[in-house]
Amino acid sequence: MSEPILQARGLAKDYWMGAARLRVLHDVSLSVARGEFLCILGPSGSGKSTLLHLLGLLDRPTEGRVIFEGEDAFSRAKRWRDRMRNEAIGFVFQFYYLMPDLSVLENTLLPAMIRTPLAVWPFARWGERARAMEVLKDVGLGERVQHLPRELSGGERQRAAIARALVHRPRVLFADEPTGNLDSATGAEIMRVLERLNRKEGLTVVMVTHDASIAERADRVLHLADGKLLTERK
Amino acid sequence: MAEWLQSPWFWPAVAAGGAAVIALAALLLFSPVYKHIVCLKYLFGGWKAVVPIVSALPAALGVFLLILVFAIMDGFVSETREMTRGTLADIIVDAHLGGMPYYDEFADRIERIEGVEAATPVIQSYVVVRVKPSGEYRYVKPIVRPCLLLGIRPAEKAKMGRFLNYLESWRTVTGGVKEEDAKMERFLEHLRRLYAVAATPEALERLLDVPPEYRKAGQPPRPGVIAGTAVIGVPVTDYVSEDVTIGAGRRVLAWFLAAVATVVFLFIWRAAVHRPGRVGWRVAMGLAGLSAVGFYVAALAAPVHPGQVIRPEVVDYPLLGRGDDLVVSTIPVRPSGAIDTEPGGIPKVSSRVFALVDVFRSKYWEADSSHLYVDLAVAQQMAGMEGDPAQGVPARASQIQVKISDPAAAGTAVDRIQKAWEAFQAERPDEDLPQVTVNTWETQQRMILTVVEVERNITTLMLGLMFVGFAVLIALISYVMAYIKSRDVGILKAVGASDAGVGSLFLGYGFIIGLLGTAIGMIGALLMLHYLDPIEIWVNQTLNVDIFPREMYYFDRIPRHLSPWWCVGVSGAVLGLATLASMVGGLLAAIRQPVETLRYE
Repeated sequence: MSEPILQARGLAKDYWMGAARLRVLHDVSLSVARGEFLCILGPSGSGKSTLLHLLGLLDRPTEGRVIFEGEDAFSRAKRWRDRMRNEAIGFVFQFYYLMPDLSVLENTLLPAMIRTPLAVWPFARWGERARAMEVLKDVGLGERVQHLPRELSGGERQRAAIARALVHRPRVLFADEPTGNLDSATGAEIMRVLERLNRKEGLTVVMVTHDASIAERADRVLHLADGKLLTERK
Repeated sequence: MAEWLQSPWFWPAVAAGGAAVIALAALLLFSPVYKHIVCLKYLFGGWKAVVPIVSALPAALGVFLLILVFAIMDGFVSETREMTRGTLADIIVDAHLGGMPYYDEFADRIERIEGVEAATPVIQSYVVVRVKPSGEYRYVKPIVRPCLLLGIRPAEKAKMGRFLNYLESWRTVTGGVKEEDAKMERFLEHLRRLYAVAATPEALERLLDVPPEYRKAGQPPRPGVIAGTAVIGVPVTDYVSEDVTIGAGRRVLAWFLAAVATVVFLFIWRAAVHRPGRVGWRVAMGLAGLSAVGFYVAALAAPVHPGQVIRPEVVDYPLLGRGDDLVVSTIPVRPSGAIDTEPGGIPKVSSRVFALVDVFRSKYWEADSSHLYVDLAVAQQMAGMEGDPAQGVPARASQIQVKISDPAAAGTAVDRIQKAWEAFQAERPDEDLPQVTVNTWETQQRMILTVVEVERNITTLMLGLMFVGFAVLIALISYVMAYIKSRDVGILKAVGASDAGVGSLFLGYGFIIGLLGTAIGMIGALLMLHYLDPIEIWVNQTLNVDIFPREMYYFDRIPRHLSPWWCVGVSGAVLGLATLASMVGGLLAAIRQPVETLRYE
């Protein structure tokens, strides 16, 4: 097994419901190798999205550590985590989460627009645009770049979200139920895209799902129930 | 050169403004581009663009009213200041009715002070004037009025304030001549013809002389008097014609409505593009477009041509003509403050007949209705201030008026003159010289100036309160925007945007609304001020509402004084308030955790 790109050590997460504390993750430890396709399988409410958010540096754990590329992510400044999300991590969500006021192309350019100052943008724009067009063509949206998200089908929206997640060449792609809101044919198509990225381009993919048939396509499956990691299956 | 360009604050303000613009530009240029693109999409994307435009309207209205009302009120203040200043001098050394001796020596000493250009003694005495109408009004009963007798040396007084410009003869003779030197040449030429003297500046000494044609044979010579226009006249409503551009107000209104209809059309068009099936949007777009075209046609076709309007104006109709008698009576006051009395304790009245040689009109009511200018020596005699050289009693003057080269340095000059008087007193310990007060004209006239300034400031404050409402509106809008767009906030943060960056996006939103409001309000106010006269005439004629009754004011037109400082201050305040108020939304966006908004659909 190659070196781990991502590790979780004793992760726990609490939510407060008024005065009551609700622990949704209990002492989760795992390791993700570079180029691996890892799937975290669990029923609704098991804490898989929470775990994904912690691994993707979107949320802070109550206990434990996330080690991303050898760095303890939560002992570093928030600025560093923001930069990692912008440069090294890509997210695909169940409900696409595209910005409704921006076109498909602008949504895809979002990571570049976040890291580029206005003064530099006129010079960087064409290179970034070319890369975005390349990725959009790759996911089959080359003809729909000027459309707004509301003018696209569910599958097209998810492919636009994948394009946005891939445009900056991330080292890890986090996918939260990427097929959960799609029909089976479109879902299969999205899974083929993810598999291709993993197999051909060596992209590390961490996906959470409640669908065992989807999970079977991963290199490795971790079972999560009631916030606890139960078994590991190759 | 404009007054504000000469202000000592001009260059520091330019430097501060420049630094602020550079800092803002740097902030914009080096901030991530997503903020600008997303902010502009929020502001001007589709039908939502109506929100910032509507939000900007209170700011626009506030800026419009504040600039317009302040410019007009400040116009009143400036005109009043000009009028009061013109009738006085830069600095007044006042010894009150008791008077000061050795005034010429002290005036000489004042003239040697750095920054002082000229000084002249003035006599002041309260008098009663009897105006016996002549000519066609000879059957009108005589009018008796309380007035202020001012004894002057005409050539010296001509250097103070705008005395010369307020004389009817000056206005008549120099009317239409633009250059100040040419005006003076022409006026001196007029004096030369009157008195057969050389046309040199010294001819101004003859201003109070009675020309030969007004002298009455067989009667003792009468000294000359220059009387305020309201002293010798009665107010009557006259109808005067004024050259105007007919139709300009209507055209301005049509342009304004055309611009509004165009903006409405553009927004409906943007909204309709995304609603291809909605007939209502198409109809609204058509109506707005037709309205815009209609107003443009109306603006272009509105007939505009030069013309005249007749408007009522109150004028002081003179009851006396040049050379007519004016009887002035006063009670002389001795240096001790005592009043000479007749046997039986009746105050001794000093009375004299004067010949009217000129009329004084400054548009400052206090002066025009009470000032009588006579020769210094004549006034001294009437007021009992002529002294008695035989008994060693020096003559006295009530005031010394001083002209200085730099009005901005009046405070320093006042201190120096005060010290000079103290030294002057110290040199004459046996003379028991009176205490004098040294004031600038502003301090002397502070009562009237303060009233006008207080009115201006209260109005400004009241209008300024509008901005509180505007700030609350912006705060609410930015909060609602940040709440509605909380999903976008989560997405941006998930893709790596910082908390501060996302928060500042909403600050920019408020800033641009403020900028929009400021621009609309400022352009509107500047246009309104530029076209104020034709608009006033149009309102008068169309709505029959006299918004600026001339009979109540001495001004020929609505006064206005646009201060660039005020424009900059109002703009800065609106932009600052808008940005501050939008911090509500900015903070909400900044502190919101991305997972809070992305967890559930």
